[in-house]
Amino acid sequence: MTDGICLELSGNIPEHPSRLSGADELTLIWRAQRGERAAFDALVRAYDQNVLQLVLRVVRSPEEARDLYQEAFLKVYRSLKNFRLEARFSTWLYRLVMNVCLDHLRRQGARKEIQPPVNEETEQEFFQTLPDHRPGLDPERATRSKEIAGRIQRALERLNPRERMVFELKHYQGLKLRAIGELCGTTEQTVKNSLFRATQKLRVDLADLI
Amino acid sequence: MNCPDVQESLGLYIYGDLPAEERGSLEAHMAGCEGCRKALEDARRLHEVLKERQPLEAAPELLVECRQALEEALDREQLGWAGLLRGWLSAAHLAPATAAVVASCLVVIGFGAGWVVRPRVAGLSPSAQLEYGAAPTAADLSNMRISGISRVAPDPKTGDVRITMDAQRRVTLEGSLDDPRIQQVLVSTVKSYDNPGIRRDTLDALRARASNPNFREALLYSMRHDPNAGNRLEALDTVRSLDWGPDLEKAFLDAVERDDNPGVRVAAIDVLMSHLDDSVLPVLERLAGSERNRYVRLKCAAAVRELGKDGN
Repeated sequence: MTDGICLELSGNIPEHPSRLSGADELTLIWRAQRGERAAFDALVRAYDQNVLQLVLRVVRSPEEARDLYQEAFLKVYRSLKNFRLEARFSTWLYRLVMNVCLDHLRRQGARKEIQPPVNEETEQEFFQTLPDHRPGLDPERATRSKEIAGRIQRALERLNPRERMVFELKHYQGLKLRAIGELCGTTEQTVKNSLFRATQKLRVDLADLI
Repeated sequence: MNCPDVQESLGLYIYGDLPAEERGSLEAHMAGCEGCRKALEDARRLHEVLKERQPLEAAPELLVECRQALEEALDREQLGWAGLLRGWLSAAHLAPATAAVVASCLVVIGFGAGWVVRPRVAGLSPSAQLEYGAAPTAADLSNMRISGISRVAPDPKTGDVRITMDAQRRVTLEGSLDDPRIQQVLVSTVKSYDNPGIRRDTLDALRARASNPNFREALLYSMRHDPNAGNRLEALDTVRSLDWGPDLEKAFLDAVERDDNPGVRVAAIDVLMSHLDDSVLPVLERLAGSERNRYVRLKCAAAVRELGKDGN
């Protein structure tokens, strides 16, 4: 069975397509709905790398990533009995994860006024990109690069939750607009509008770097 | 299209998401509008700047931690702390003979909260329920990882307790890299095991016999397909010292053109510079002119200049 959302999500993440065939997945869902833990664990394994990639878009620390990952899958576990095959399982799951991410961003936005700013060093340590193997990259360039990355991160955090998620999914994950719309439970036009607003805000925020 | 329409569509134009008709309309408008051409340049520069924020990759340990924490949370969810405790205490009130089983169980559960390496040997399902002709001993239990207890059922008539659990037995294979069984497990682990840290350890193990045909093929597979960019780089580092052949050239060219990590691509370019032939230079020249990623583009351009100085 072709899984539109899963394939499109994995379009830029070729590493993590769900390994389950349609029939296998239906069997696992049926068994998990009847309380079989091993079946639920197998469903988690099929999707959790993609879920973690999604969650990493909106968090600032490994601890937050772990918490959101857990929150998302506990919600899946509790709601699974309500899944009635009216949509693809992947669509249902990723939409649930999206809502967890959006709620997290809303809570983050509400807490911003009373929390101290994120320590930039900690923030950069968390962004565990590859060690820089680029030969010939001088230290000054590397420092500048990290400063710019920090500016971009803070600019993204100033977007509203919906704009932030749409932008992350389009620009950094490479999802098609239709897929983003399905994840957000909205139309392609609404996604386009959010994307345009997000881009405008980023252009203003990062104007001196352009 | 008018200017506001064009400027609203620039983002989608750069992403390649505009339908052909709208794309044509936009390009026709821009041919005659300097303001919109400048807006497109600004939009492209913004995209270049945004590349400085590299896509996040989860450290291998993070996924492991997430899975572990979820497992514990699901255990609590499924049985509830009160339910877990009630079951164990009730069982402990039964005949003394059962206490040892429960005690072993408690010890194992405590141990099972920690991560245990579970090599996935071909044909063995990691969640296979172990079946015993006879009851497992305490020694057997200490060598198992309990992944879930689905039932604790005391029998008030007999005083016995039935514990139904999913458990995996830890298996240790030890031998030479020339042993076909070891080779089979290592190759399978590199290609399909879902823990990137274990795949990394396996790549280290293969390094000592990288010239073995099975390991060579596995290393090339890892360089091209491992989900973790660090592992792809590790495999590339090992492969670069192997005897050069068409399979290596193809793998490195694919890495330069298609890997989604710039670090891997640049490392592949470095290797290809030492193996220049009719297939390699045209690729570097093309990417030097048209590659979107600035570092890769500059690296290709530098490589082409360097090769030009050497008279190649």
